[in-house]
This record gives sequence, structure tokens and C-alpha cells, in this order.
Amino acid sequence: MAEIMVRVENASFRYPNAKEYNLKNINFEVEKGEFLVIMGENGAGKTTLCKVLSGIIPHSQEGSYFGDVTICGLNSKEHALSTLTQHIGIVLDDPESQLFTTEVLDEVAFGAENLELPVDEIRRNAQWAIDVVRMQGYEEKDPTRLSGGQKQRVAIASALTMQPEILILDEPTSQLDPIGTLEVFQVVRELKETYHMTIIMVTHKSEEIAQFADRVLVLHAGEVLAQGTPQEIFRNQEVLDKAWLAIPQASEVCVALEQQGIALNGFPVVLEEGVQQIGQLLNGARKEMGA
Amino acid sequence: MTETAISVERVTYRYHNGFQALTDVDFQIRKHEFVAIIGQNGAGKSTLLKNLVGLYKPTQGNIVVNGINTRDISIARLSTKVGFVLQNPDRQLFANTVEEEITFGPRNLKLEQAEIDRRLEHALEMTGLGPLREDFPMALSAGDRAKVVIASVIAMQPEIIILDEPTTGQDRRGCAQIMDIAKDFQNRGFTVVVVTHHMALVADYAERVIVMCQGQKLLDGPTAEIFTQTQALRKAFVMPPQVTQLAARLQPQLGQQGAVLHTKELADLVARQYFSGKESSIQ
Amino acid sequence: MKYYPGTSFLHRLDARVKIILLLMLTILVFMTRNFPVLAVIFVFLLLGWKISGIPMRELGGYLKLLVGLIAFVVLIQCLFQRGETSLIDPILPEFLPLVGGMGRITVEGVQFGLLLGFRLLVIMCLMPLVIMCTRIRELSLGFVKLGVPYRIAFMITTALNQVPLLQDEITTITDAQKLRAFTVFEDGTPLKKLKAYPTLVIPLVMGAMKKSMLIGTAMDVRAFGSRKGRSYLHDIQMGRADMVTLVGMILFCAVLAAANYMLQR
Repeated sequence: MAEIMVRVENASFRYPNAKEYNLKNINFEVEKGEFLVIMGENGAGKTTLCKVLSGIIPHSQEGSYFGDVTICGLNSKEHALSTLTQHIGIVLDDPESQLFTTEVLDEVAFGAENLELPVDEIRRNAQWAIDVVRMQGYEEKDPTRLSGGQKQRVAIASALTMQPEILILDEPTSQLDPIGTLEVFQVVRELKETYHMTIIMVTHKSEEIAQFADRVLVLHAGEVLAQGTPQEIFRNQEVLDKAWLAIPQASEVCVALEQQGIALNGFPVVLEEGVQQIGQLLNGARKEMGA
Repeated sequence: MTETAISVERVTYRYHNGFQALTDVDFQIRKHEFVAIIGQNGAGKSTLLKNLVGLYKPTQGNIVVNGINTRDISIARLSTKVGFVLQNPDRQLFANTVEEEITFGPRNLKLEQAEIDRRLEHALEMTGLGPLREDFPMALSAGDRAKVVIASVIAMQPEIIILDEPTTGQDRRGCAQIMDIAKDFQNRGFTVVVVTHHMALVADYAERVIVMCQGQKLLDGPTAEIFTQTQALRKAFVMPPQVTQLAARLQPQLGQQGAVLHTKELADLVARQYFSGKESSIQ
Repeated sequence: MKYYPGTSFLHRLDARVKIILLLMLTILVFMTRNFPVLAVIFVFLLLGWKISGIPMRELGGYLKLLVGLIAFVVLIQCLFQRGETSLIDPILPEFLPLVGGMGRITVEGVQFGLLLGFRLLVIMCLMPLVIMCTRIRELSLGFVKLGVPYRIAFMITTALNQVPLLQDEITTITDAQKLRAFTVFEDGTPLKKLKAYPTLVIPLVMGAMKKSMLIGTAMDVRAFGSRKGRSYLHDIQMGRADMVTLVGMILFCAVLAAANYMLQR
């Protein structure tokens, strides 16, 4: 069995002025090297869950918090945020607000400087992080002048210099154009495949989820509504309706065909599967015709 | 011949620091159209929009809205002809209630109370914000905040409405609601221009697409035509929606003409092909 | 006010020297009541701008923004500063309660007003010069090396860093308002402008609060303040030229202070 990197047990949280609990009795685990996506409507508790997972709750956010989150064997209540953050990095949802220095290299080095690491090591880590997000040549640029996708990649690099084993990304692509979105997903895939990092990402982008993610966790009104592979989730009409999830268009076509009484040989979630399965269907019909 | 709503005449725009954000952009938007402007972040889309509503004046060339050059009219007057929904709702909300927020514009126009009330009701009705009219705008959900901003623009009673990435950060329900309001606006006889990165929404709602790339107009045409030009789109860092790509890959088997824009449309095509295959095999 | 990249002598000067110079000159400017001393500092600063290689129009830009404020301060002082030598007699008779003697302008009042205005002008030439010639990280490190706790140094410099962004924010908000036919900030009377400020300030403050909370969280997750000390990727070293400049500047300020003392008597 694979190593458990994050374990959430009976986690509940309520913001100081909220009437209701924003998270209610959440339970789940994340394995090493897994790419988990958290989906759900706005207001379902996705960002709050990210804060709980990263230790921002209870260390840097007030509110009523119950339950336990264990990150790499450390209970988040018992360890300082600066310790947790060396295991679990987080990229917050607004790239503008997390960039506060005037040069990319300073931005990326900031966390490691605060940890009082030796300067050589900081330089090495920072350069590695900049290479991974493909921002070489931008070290001396002003972060506020970069494009949306570049800002987002710098924010990712800033978390990476602290060399975490787990990376949380809260809606990293909501402001990006389609190619910028793809670039962020490709960087994340490289972190997972080459560096065996564990990834937890909040996003609505179902087509990229189908292509890149291993597992989807659906939040609805502060509770876990469902968990499963992208296939399983996008197939589950009840969950989709309740949580108002978007599904890949390839899957939508399949659903529309089913309504007309045509079943595909499978349930396509990515483009290639759609091409193959619909192609097969049409070839089958033609073959029958030929026979 | 339909009338022109906005005429962009060979517009070049250069910022104070010398950066040229638009180069010789030229197109007309006809009344009653629903146009999407797409392109990479930084392609000049937002600069173009700010020129359309008079916040910026072209360095060269002219912009004519409803027959009036934007140079010859105040922004306040222009705002009753062309409404602009800016990207981030949080920078546009300041009132204590949704009602107050929506009537802010009409009150600035010094309209009579009866007219202000009529416009308020109309804007509430179009956006479905009626039940929230007494609420504090800044405490609403992201979707509702966006709708309040749209409602307050509608209350200016413009004939053209321009939306800059209205669905950023919205979930599926929010996206659909916002775009449906825009569509409704068009159905009532008005003109809609929207900038977005969300290609599926472009395919579902827009009749015409303008592709911007490095400050220039790269492509301009009916949505179905634009989304067949994969090579050129790639240059502008955009991709057609998945269903269009899927249909294009299946074209040899389906034999359709042009781009497929909706999943329903593709399903129907496949079903027809499938059943015709079946039928001929039975005969 | 933003760092203006360059390689001039002032750009290369150690941040500590620039901070000390900034402090000394600021104190001098606020202590002195002598126009000649202010004039010397003013000329010295103009020279500084010349050396820095930053185009003069940048300075002009700031001064243009503040010319109204300076004029306002001068005017208020002229009108309300009491003095001995009447220049213009009171419009309202002295015996009236509260408003009595209003409208009287005195030589001392005018002098004091002009002095305050000149001080402001000199400070406006000083602050942007130092900030535009120094990388924010060097400024912050300079403060730390002078004994200011890192937390405070970081806050000062981050606040400076946010100023240009705040300007953008104000533009966006006022643009949004213009688009709703709200033109008070362009053509309204001063009273109307005053009344309209909440429409600008509310979104600005709400935005700033939201943003500062986000920045706070972003700093926390990057281990800000978790250790007593801190590493610095880019260190600053006092060189020979820096030392010489520092000594020279201290002497310069001492001479000015002495001159000020002499003139005062």
C-alpha cells in the first residue's frame, strides 16, 4: 500500500462570523504521488479545505476548528506553520496578492530566506524552482509586470523553493487563457512524474482534470459528496446535478447519445477516448452495413 | 442592411510609456450582434475595450459608437449608449444595498424618481436579483456580485453592453447565469460584446468571433468559421472547444461541413450517421 | 514611486548611507527656519537628481501631484498664522467672537507659510530620489542592518511597494464610476467631492483589507518570522566609496546645522 501523505479526520471549521459550519466532518486521505482535484460550486468550502490542509487553519486563520489533519505524520495542530510548510506548500487563489517583492528571484527565495537556510542552498533551490516552472531568464523581472500565467508559475516556484513533498494549488488557472492553463497543468504533471510530488488542486476545468488528475473529491455545502476517478465522478449524474459540476465535452456528447438510445463502448472523458469510441461506434455501424 | 453599433476605424493605441498595445485595428459591430473577442492574456483585448467605452482615446484612428466619435462625447454621456462591465466586481461595488448600487448610475443621470424605479425593477428582473435587493453587495457570493455589477450597467439603459471576462472565477452555474443575462439582453434587441477565455461559452453564445494577437486583429468571422482555423488560433494561443476538436477528428466518418460548436449538435450528427448505417444494413 | 533601474553613483551607494542621509536631511529640513539653508539642500537634491540619471520629468510628475497641497498649506498659513506686522487689515472686526480678526494677513504669517511650503517641496524632492535609486530589497536590508527589526523593515518596504499598485486600483475604481455617469471627481464642487469620497474610499479600503489579509497568509505559509534570524540571498557590503560618502555627508549636514544655528541667532 502506498504511503499516506495527508490524512483528514473529522475536520470541521467555521469562520468567526459564519452562521453555519463551512466544513462539516470531512474525512479523506491522499497517497504519495497522487494528483487529487477538489471540485465543487463556489461557496462549497474548497478554499477553506485548502487552508485546513496546509495548516493555515488553525495557525493563521481564526475560527472554530475541530478534527485532525496529519501531514507527513505531523498533526497540523501540534506543529508550527513554518514546519508544515516545508512539507506542504500552497499556492493561494489570487496570484497578485502573494507576490510582494520586486524581482522574481527574490520572490522565489523569500520562503527559504525566512527559514534561515544557507545562501548557497537558497540559490540552488530557487534556481531549481525557476527551472521547473520554466521561468529561466526572468529572474530579475518585476513580478507585477508578468502575464497572468507567468505570475502563477512564479507563485508555484515560490512554494517549491521550500522543497515540500505536497503542493496545494487553489484555482491556479481561473484567470488564464487556454494555453496558460495548459502550461500550469504541464508544470504540475512534471512535479508529479519527475519529482514524485503529491498534488492537491482546486479547479473547475473538467477537461484538464480528466487529462491530468488521478482522483476527484467533490465538495458540496461543506461536506464530501463523492470521491473517485474522473471517470467515475463525471459518470455519476446524481453527483453532477447536485454539485453543478461541468463535465468534459467528450463526456457530454456521450450522455447526449445515450439519451438517444446509443451506447458507446465506454465513457470518454478525454478527447482521444472520444475520437476512438465514437469512431468505433460509427465503424461498427458501417461494418454491419457492409456485412 | 443592418445598422452599425460600433465602428473601430484603423485604431492604434500607445500607452504613455510608449508601449503600443493596439496596431491598426479595424472592424464594425452591427446592432443586435453577439460578438466574442478572444486571444492570449496581453493580446490587447482590455485596451481595446477601454477604447470602445471612451476611457482611452485612440492614438490614431477613430471609434464611432452609434454614429458619435468617442472623442466628441463625455464618458458620462457615452455610458448611456455603451455599458461596460469591468473585470473585477469588487472594485465597482460600494453601496450599502443592491438597490442603491443599481440606482447609482441613474441617479447620476438626474432622472426622475419614477424612471429610476422603473429601471431598478427592470435590472432586478433581468438579473434575477429581486430577492437580494436589500442585501449588502460586498457580502454576496462571487456570482451574485458579478450580477449586481451587470444590473447596475443595465440600469444605465445602454444599447450596447461590453463585458470583460465576466466569468472569471465563476463556477458552472455562475457562468451560465451570467451568459444567459447577456443573451437575454441581445434578445431584447441590443448588442453584446464579450471578452473571455472560455471557449465553450464562446461557441454556445457568440455568433461572431474576433481573435486578437499581439495588438492586432488576427481573425474575424462567424464562430463556426473561426473555430475551423486551428493553425491561426494556435498563433493567438487559443484552442477551439473540445467538441469542435472532437468533431474535426471525426470529420472523415461524419462528413460534416464546417465546425461543430455544441455537444448536442455533435451527438445528433453521430446519431444520424449511426442510424443511417444501421438502416442500410437492415435493408 | 517605484525603483527606477540604473547604475549611477546614487544607485550603487550602500542603502544604509542613503537611509542615514535621508534621516539627517529630513531632520534638518524640519528644524530649520532659514530659507538659505533650505535653498542649499534644495540645490543639493537637484544635483542628486541630475547624478541619478532619472529623467527630471519623473520628479516633475510628483511635484505636479503635490503642487495643490503645497499651495493649500501656504494659503492656510498665510490666512491663519497670527503675527505682529499687518500686511492686510482684518475683514472682520476684532471684537467679534471666534471669527474676529479673520482675513488679516501678516508678514510673519506669509513668511511662515512660505517656509512650510518650501519644506514640503524639499521633502518631496528628497523622498522619491532615495526610493527610486534603491532596490526595495536593499532598502529593507539597509534598515535591518541599521538595527530596525526585520518585521518592521519588511512592512515599511512592502507598503512602499504597494503604493503604485494602489494608484492602479484608484484608476480602476474611478473609471468604473465614470462609466456610471459619476463625474463629481472631475467637475464637482469641492463640497460634492468631499461627499463623494466614500464611493472611492469604500472599495479601496475593502480591497486593501482583503489584500492585506491575503498577503499576511501568503507570508505565513512562506515561514515569515518563523526564525529569529534570516538569510539574505543578496547581501549588501559597505565599500570604501560608501564610507567616504557617509563621512562626507555627515560633515555636510553638520556644516548646514551649524550655519542654521548661526543664522538663527
